Amino acid sequence: MSEIVPQVPRARDGRAPDVFHVGGWVPMREYADDDEVDFAIIGTGAGGGTLACRLSEAGFSVVALDVGPYWRPLEDFASDEHEQFKLYWRDERIVDGTDALQLGRNNSGQSVGGSMVHFAMVSLRFRPEWFKARSQLGYGHDWPVDWREMWRYYGEVEEALKIAGPVRYPWGPHRPRYPYRAHELNAAARVLARGSEALGIKWAPTPLATLSAPRGDAHPCVYRGFCIAGCSTNAKQSALTTWIPRALAAGAEIRDLAMVGRIELGNSGRVTGLHYHREGRWRFQRARHVVVAGYSIETPRLLLNSACPRFPDGLANSSGLVGHNLMAHSNQGVYGVMEDEIRWYKGPPSLAITEHWNYTDEGKDFHGGYSYMSQGPLPVEWVGTMTGNRGLWGEALQREMQKYIHQAGLKIVGETQARDENRVRLADEKDRFGLPVAHVTFSYGDNDHRLIAHAKRFMRDSLAAAGARDIWAEESETAHLMGTCRMGDDPSTSVTNADGRSWDIPNLWICDGSLFPTSGGVNPSLTIQALACRAADRIKLLAKRGEL
Amino acid sequence: MRAAKLRHDRRLSRLPALLSAAPPSPRPKPDVQALSTRAARRLNRGCAWLSAAVLADSAVEHYRGMFFNRAMYAPLAVSSLTLAASVHGGSDRSGKSHPVRDGIYALAALTGLAGTGFHLYNVGKREGGFSFENLFYCAPVGAPFALLLAGLFGRAAERVRDTAPGDVPQLFGLPAGRALAGASALGMMGTVGEVGLLHFRGAYHDPFMFLPVSVPPAAAATMAAVAVQPKRPRWRLARLLLRLVQGLGFAGVGFHAYGVHRNMGGWRNWSQTMLNGPPLPAPPSFTGLALVGLAALDLLEERHD
Repeated sequence: MSEIVPQVPRARDGRAPDVFHVGGWVPMREYADDDEVDFAIIGTGAGGGTLACRLSEAGFSVVALDVGPYWRPLEDFASDEHEQFKLYWRDERIVDGTDALQLGRNNSGQSVGGSMVHFAMVSLRFRPEWFKARSQLGYGHDWPVDWREMWRYYGEVEEALKIAGPVRYPWGPHRPRYPYRAHELNAAARVLARGSEALGIKWAPTPLATLSAPRGDAHPCVYRGFCIAGCSTNAKQSALTTWIPRALAAGAEIRDLAMVGRIELGNSGRVTGLHYHREGRWRFQRARHVVVAGYSIETPRLLLNSACPRFPDGLANSSGLVGHNLMAHSNQGVYGVMEDEIRWYKGPPSLAITEHWNYTDEGKDFHGGYSYMSQGPLPVEWVGTMTGNRGLWGEALQREMQKYIHQAGLKIVGETQARDENRVRLADEKDRFGLPVAHVTFSYGDNDHRLIAHAKRFMRDSLAAAGARDIWAEESETAHLMGTCRMGDDPSTSVTNADGRSWDIPNLWICDGSLFPTSGGVNPSLTIQALACRAADRIKLLAKRGEL
Repeated sequence: MRAAKLRHDRRLSRLPALLSAAPPSPRPKPDVQALSTRAARRLNRGCAWLSAAVLADSAVEHYRGMFFNRAMYAPLAVSSLTLAASVHGGSDRSGKSHPVRDGIYALAALTGLAGTGFHLYNVGKREGGFSFENLFYCAPVGAPFALLLAGLFGRAAERVRDTAPGDVPQLFGLPAGRALAGASALGMMGTVGEVGLLHFRGAYHDPFMFLPVSVPPAAAATMAAVAVQPKRPRWRLARLLLRLVQGLGFAGVGFHAYGVHRNMGGWRNWSQTMLNGPPLPAPPSFTGLALVGLAALDLLEERHD
């Protein structure tokens, strides 16, 4: 099988791909390597893509680099799960720990637009108390931002992505109406609803970043079901189809297939630019400010690899925390067989949700919370679940697969605790660019295990109450990444301040999920984008005050 | 004081005449029977539009629902009959009602009522009950209402047609013009409710989606005012608004055709986009209701001339 992946950059010669038209182009402003741009941003996903848009719209000159290709979903994405593995980060990484992460599918991407290009579109707000987890809930760390401020930025992001959500969201403080209405539930989502109603807890249609009505050149969702394999219709509202087109229109330059290997520190104690690899050679882009937005593995990897005499343990790492406190969400599923046909592959995979255990603190023997959502794995993914978790093969696997259209499932997004031993460091091994690969260690802690056990018990009860039989639960599964460059109020216990500005180097910033002090029990993309919008507003303000 | 008020009223009553370009001219006294029949035929034509909308809409939507329940064939059969009866009535110059038409209209009203019940049951039994999301995506509660209206207005048409020469047509113990003005206002507001709900589902993503929830309510309010106080000055405004609503019914089909085009594959992929996009046959219900309103005004004219 040969995948169709662009081998040469598409965004160059004054134009970038127009994602909304087959073979289309939009004009793009370009900067020379010698131009000292206001901001060079590394990564174009939920953090970098959003920030590139907001900063260029504020009038700053911006170059955003991404090692991934610049896709046009309408022509580049196939209805083929294997082909679409091309969206994942598949360059070599070393993983270990008792719960070694499986990297790629649901935690890292390599595309302009980042892993949002294959995210499940679940767009949830943090519970307000989580921003003060230590002082209000007694675990983890406090965030250096106020929930009310975040609430405003959540609203901005939901509007920018035209999130399709329920008319009334049953948990948490009042929120404005979602810009678009929720999608129709599929049968798999109705299983969650039925189970919830039987157990007496609330449920809701999941707020999703896929259109339930037309928007500009993007069509409403056709319920094709290949969401996490890459949406080929542009109904999915990712950085690729929302923030980045806006960034281009505002004068930003996007450089695809551009790998940043090192950030350069000048004699003044400020960074001067970055070394990047594109079209077969290493180049140097000058910049007044550098923003790292490579997510929880690539961000610390780049900072660690940019070590210099002044920062021998890695740039901005005087706290020693760069790379530490990596978090992944626990993501165990519970599955069962229903009497009726479910056909869970239809539509977005997680159309219904309950955040009951995010907002209820009684009856828990663990810190933190979890949400769970209905599931809809495509056949190849489902085979992987069956072989990986249950060791099924041959005839037994075939028999099990014949129940595919009757399967239903629930899966948690469970909060894990930040633990120092879960970390990213540099290995001796080198990648295709000659850069040391990331060595990623992850193990669940005792609290994480208690949370998972609670969730599995509860989801079993819910599935049984909905009428499922042959119920079984997954052992080890994770999703998303958070932490490794924690933000905070104290330079000795955090890497950056609330704006993502590193304590050590005033013109080096971080803008992605690695800033998270805690992980929360919800998918992180909305919070990453909200932080990026907040950072952009702060940068504007600081620029006005002459404090950049 | 009293004299001043009277003078004021008289001035108001001359306002429409002042606004119109042509000076009021004395018209020949019309034949009351012919006017009743004309109003009845107009009512029949209104019912034709309503039942045609129901026929096309239920055909598409119940096909989409794979005629899961046999009762889903009922609105197709009944609205076909209602359409035939209405076309017949629309061209029938007779001053007498027709028993078969009358019976079909009764059947249409009953079917519309039963359909509303079925659709309510379909919404209520779904997880979440009568939530917004179920009202969006389960059987549309307001759709069978159009068939109920076709039946009721059809029956009214037959009663109006039966008016003896020299008599003022009556409905529910009221002069027919006033009764129909009120009923058309209620029917229009019911339809506006349905449109409002479904355009809310579409998040009013296109500003034109506000038209059918702003013009028809204005027309309905004016018609309600006419029903309460059938004063002549209101008729001109009512007529103007009803003509707008009538046109909106046609324009809506065009807007919905554009909406279908905005779905994946556009009109090339019509077999999917017509089902997933906005319903093409829905807007002409407004045309039907506008004709009912105009018939009501005809009857009022008759009474006052």
